[in-house]
Amino acid sequence: MTQRISKSKRFFMMNPIIQFFKFIWLSLKILVIVAGGHGGTRNSTTP
Amino acid sequence: MSKIVILGAGISGHVAAAHLRRKLSKEHEVVVVSPNSNYQWIPSNIWVGIGRMKSKEILFPLEPLYKKKGIGYKQAKVKTFYPEGDKETKKPFVNIEYVMGEQKGVTEKVTYDYLINATGPKLAFDMTEGLNPGTNKAYSVCTYSHAEHAWEALNDLIQQMKAGKKAKILIGTGHAKSTCQGAAFEYILNVEQELRRHNVRDKAEIVWIANEPKLGDFGMDGMLMSYGSNIMKSSEMVEMVFEDRGIKWIIGAGVNKIEDGIAYYENLDGEYLSETYDFAMLIPAFSGHGFKAFDKEEKDITDKLFKGFMIVDADYTPKPYEEWSVQDWPETYQNPAYKNIFAPGIAFAPPHAISKPRVSKNGTAISPAPPRTGMPSGITAKLVADNIIDTINGKKELHHKGSMGNMGAACIASAGYGMTKGSGISITTFPIVPDYKKYPDTQGRQLSKTFGEIGLAGHWLKMALHYAFLYKAKMKPFWWLIPE
Ligand SMILES: Cc1cc2nc3c(=O)[nH]c(=O)nc-3n(C[C@H](O)[C@H](O)[C@H](O)COP(=O)(O)OP(=O)(O)OC[C@H]3O[C@@H](n4cnc5c(N)ncnc54)[C@H](O)[C@@H]3O)c2cc1C
Repeated sequence: MTQRISKSKRFFMMNPIIQFFKFIWLSLKILVIVAGGHGGTRNSTTP
Repeated sequence: MSKIVILGAGISGHVAAAHLRRKLSKEHEVVVVSPNSNYQWIPSNIWVGIGRMKSKEILFPLEPLYKKKGIGYKQAKVKTFYPEGDKETKKPFVNIEYVMGEQKGVTEKVTYDYLINATGPKLAFDMTEGLNPGTNKAYSVCTYSHAEHAWEALNDLIQQMKAGKKAKILIGTGHAKSTCQGAAFEYILNVEQELRRHNVRDKAEIVWIANEPKLGDFGMDGMLMSYGSNIMKSSEMVEMVFEDRGIKWIIGAGVNKIEDGIAYYENLDGEYLSETYDFAMLIPAFSGHGFKAFDKEEKDITDKLFKGFMIVDADYTPKPYEEWSVQDWPETYQNPAYKNIFAPGIAFAPPHAISKPRVSKNGTAISPAPPRTGMPSGITAKLVADNIIDTINGKKELHHKGSMGNMGAACIASAGYGMTKGSGISITTFPIVPDYKKYPDTQGRQLSKTFGEIGLAGHWLKMALHYAFLYKAKMKPFWWLIPE
């Protein structure tokens, strides 16, 4: 095993309070991508 | 009045049936044909495979729900397609065979006005010699019963490790052309965490084996993504996680034979090697179901409908990798020969892979087939349903389009279970099929929409999706507000 994730980063990844805000942020960010929609590629110039 | 027949009740078939029923008046008939009487939320099979969820938590019976909602249901499997009817039956139909109860073995012609083929993949274990879930110490988590079986064996091994046994665990892909590396990736991380929870991690050597040319390829040519304030390759992210967890890896490996506790494979250097194990979970190749199709004169027209999977509005002209483009990918999932047949989800034949094809020095193709995950499966099913509704209402053109080259996907990969100890790797990609012309400097993807995050929040998100999508699938109040 090689420690590739530092202690401070691991604390950030596993701290429930920080991660609660991350959860809200991630949910919104994913929603934006989903709500960003989809379309064709042949005639459109979206996104 | 129109009759829409949907083959399959997985993510795409069920999404299509639910939207059609909600939006079409009752004079139109919606019928689902599927051999499995249950709906299963497949992504949570990972947790069944580590004993942290029971399969009954990820499934529910379809028939009572369909009865309540006015959707017809036949517990049967489709066998043959007659898109022009035959000499006796003027309408197009499919031949189905019932799989349960008194009607078991009975065949029936099911006529239709519109047909949605949402039969997903055949789990082609038979393409790898000796790979058959539950035999040779090799398991699968592709269905809930496979996952239950895998947990029984893993739990047994954990008990042996507690008694001092040293064990080797092999997880990854079981064929040179397998897809769905993401599911195996989730499983290896979950298994690793469970071994720590049971205090036997030091007794196990855990090895990743995959047909990917690089870690983190996921059948999508890998990706460049934002990670915090950095820009990282998916290969670097997966390498970081594997090293941190003490997981070894073998890549570019086409597993071709399984014997009791031994996996034989060929690598891209053309070497024939083997790996021993005490427990393995290997994702098989996914193939089409081998359906046959006939015209009204009973002439075989299978090649008009199928190319392994179902032919849709993709550009199937064979081209070298350098000439592949997002425009090759389908937009409406409509069969070009029979305009009333559609194939969303995994059931459609992709125009080509997404990952660069690679062959070993011996000429064996070893590279991932293109994945089609839950989100695109749901999105393509909904747009097919919307196009059918429009057509029924008299529209001439198909307005709803969704190419995987112009669609994002969120993949929340579980990296360990637990409300405080769990973890998830949340990855979003836009577009799924890289558009190297539009995003030439960022490996075909839009960086603001292609990002990775690791942490406890990912586990909560995966849990939230589990409950939200089961709520949606059960068609509880306002289910349609939850996006696909
Ligand atoms: C272990 C695992 C974990 C996964 N995790 C994720 C994840 O976290 N996120 C994600 O986005 N995706 C995930 N996926 C991928 C996702 O499950 C698929 O993309 C999705 O299930 C595809 O939906 P589908 O409806 O096209 O096919 P399926 O879900 O396979 O459904 C096919 C349906 O067709 C039926 N059928 C089969 N043969 C016939 C026949 N002859 N006649 C009639 N019906 C038939 C089947 O019974 C089934 O109901 C995972 C997959 C696996 C295996």
